[in-house]
Amino acid sequence: MKDFIVPGEVVYDQPRRFDGSFVDREKTFASVLSVKYDDRVVALKGLYTPVVSDYVIGIIKHELFSGYKVDLNSPYIGMLSSRDLRERFEVGQVISVVIRMADEVKEAELVEPRRLWGGRVIEIPAVKIPRVIGRNNSMVSLLEQYTGCRIFVGKNGRVYVKGDNTSLAIESVMKIAREAHMHGLTDRIKSFLEDETKAGHLASEIGSPFQASPSPETK
Amino acid sequence: MARESEILDEIKAEYVKDLLKQNKRVDDRGLMDYRAFSIEKGVFPNAEGSAMAHLGDTKVAAGIKFDIVKPYADRPTEGVFTVQAEYLPLAHPTFESGPPRENAIELARLVDRGIRSAECVDTASFFVEEEKVLGMFLDVYVLDHNGNLADCAALAGMSALANAKFPKIEDGAIVRQEFKGPLPLARHVVSATFEKINGVPILDAVSEEDTASDGRITLAISSDGFLCAAQKAKSAGFTSDELLSLFDVAKEKTKPLLDAVQK
Amino acid sequence: MEKEKKKLIVDGKRVNGRGFDDLRPLKVTAGVLKRADGSAMIEWGRNKVLAAVYGPREVFPKHLSDVKKAIINCRYSMAPFSGMEEHGRSGPNRRAIEIGKVAKHVFENAVLTHQFPKTQIDISMEVLQSDGGTRVAAITAASVALADAGIPMRDLVQGVSIGRVEGQLIVDLDKYEDNLGEADVPLIVSLRSKEVLLFQQDGRISREELQKMFELGFKGAELVRDVQVQALRQRYFETGDELNNHG
Repeated sequence: MKDFIVPGEVVYDQPRRFDGSFVDREKTFASVLSVKYDDRVVALKGLYTPVVSDYVIGIIKHELFSGYKVDLNSPYIGMLSSRDLRERFEVGQVISVVIRMADEVKEAELVEPRRLWGGRVIEIPAVKIPRVIGRNNSMVSLLEQYTGCRIFVGKNGRVYVKGDNTSLAIESVMKIAREAHMHGLTDRIKSFLEDETKAGHLASEIGSPFQASPSPETK
Repeated sequence: MARESEILDEIKAEYVKDLLKQNKRVDDRGLMDYRAFSIEKGVFPNAEGSAMAHLGDTKVAAGIKFDIVKPYADRPTEGVFTVQAEYLPLAHPTFESGPPRENAIELARLVDRGIRSAECVDTASFFVEEEKVLGMFLDVYVLDHNGNLADCAALAGMSALANAKFPKIEDGAIVRQEFKGPLPLARHVVSATFEKINGVPILDAVSEEDTASDGRITLAISSDGFLCAAQKAKSAGFTSDELLSLFDVAKEKTKPLLDAVQK
Repeated sequence: MEKEKKKLIVDGKRVNGRGFDDLRPLKVTAGVLKRADGSAMIEWGRNKVLAAVYGPREVFPKHLSDVKKAIINCRYSMAPFSGMEEHGRSGPNRRAIEIGKVAKHVFENAVLTHQFPKTQIDISMEVLQSDGGTRVAAITAASVALADAGIPMRDLVQGVSIGRVEGQLIVDLDKYEDNLGEADVPLIVSLRSKEVLLFQQDGRISREELQKMFELGFKGAELVRDVQVQALRQRYFETGDELNNHG
């Protein structure tokens, strides 16, 4: 059984704390649109806020004297200090990066930046990311296997895709995002990938993927 | 968060340019194709004419109100026609409330020039009595900005005009919600806007194509095939041959829009 | 008196055909705008209001930011062509600015602002066609737009206006009833906390009447909430391709 839940609805009669909920008078309420399965509440919407040790995909937003401001597809900007950096970045470049620290006003300190060359990046709601990753990375493996792409999933809702069949990979990710709250997702994605690769042609791309960066040769 | 959409548009602009090298567009359209469009007329019945135009994901609403106003001193028997455009803050993360800025003013003037030059409306019929004429106010409301506001605004404005009803006047005052009949229109006018990206012109750009482009030309085309307003924007130039061939394209491509407006 | 000349209630019914606590037809559509982070269109009787949300995002100008919570900006405005009468001014007038302010207070309560310190959330409500009760319609739509944007809230708020005409309390006044009636009380409530979040009033009202108005308001809000939930459900829950065959 599953129920559609809107903000302000009781999801548990006891206090429980998780993203997309709040506790009031010993009861737990949803704070965002969610789906409740028998005993599991899955948020349908939600914004990314930086969490320590998350791998995310950022876009260089500003260059400062001390480093870079990095857009994280979040209400909050990440800071990448130039202190330990070996390479320089330019505004608009796409990087993978790890959140080292996030303080109470959500300022995120970033480390281990790596340029993502070529390839494409798409954005989906951050709450859908766990489904794109799958249990023990199973969904990513499935996607990589069928599309021949390298896929990097940022916890902040950005997915980087590079390789042979980027269109199919992107379409699959969008499908996962759309159907994240439904049962039997892995099976359905698997049969979708089988059909699409068998047919030898692709449905048109969904959304508006963008190139992560021009390849180094053209710079 | 949303302010970052500007940055994303710039990154997407690179992708736009790469695709265009293979004569492709982000949404698989032909270089000279409009996005799917639709018009809803009479959506705001409090207004004397109204319409909502959708061009792809771009949405513009338009409404017409009539009031009794004083004529201009040099044209004492002629009615007054004014176009205002508003970039609503809800239409784009960078739009802020406040007095209209240059883009909104340019948009309003462009819509105005097309309708005025095409002589769609006979403002001489707006005379009421001495010192009293009808003022027709067309407001163009940008609701969702996903590229090519000019053509969507022209389409919305013209559709509102085509939906407008001539107000009933008694004792020098407008009787609201009573009408003499449809507002007579001599002809219709819409526009075609082209963006030039690395020298290649495309029709009806989406936002990332707009960001990628460095030259723009808007051509307002009347239903009898005349050019009624033009506006060249951004830095890149166009040759006269380019402009003439774009005029031909505009005439051809605006036909379905003009048909839909008149329906 | 002029009010007696134009009867608003005839044979125990409102002249518009509605019963005393009947709402006008109400429809909400979530996610109508592509650019905005969240949006909704409400059609309530002849009212049409579009609401959209941007954020949370960096505060501009920076010195306005609050290290403890998100700040909320609300814009309420009526299109120059939205009214039945003359061409209006574009942009918010004094009335609209006041409504923007009371709406802001509603959402400062409803939104879990402490989760997003140092940010701002911008809410825009544009009245495209008006026929009485636009502020309640606008806030009801904005509430759906906030949920659509994924902004955490304590409740999906909503409301209805209650008024008195010819001594009779009625729900959801149209423009005509508002103009000729004796009192108008727009209410926005949280059904979860049972609190009133917006309460403006004019006209003379007794304590008993006020109590009855609150009862009618909360009752009306329940109906409005059902429509809001339906709009969100349609956008997020019933649109999956084969959704109804699974789970």
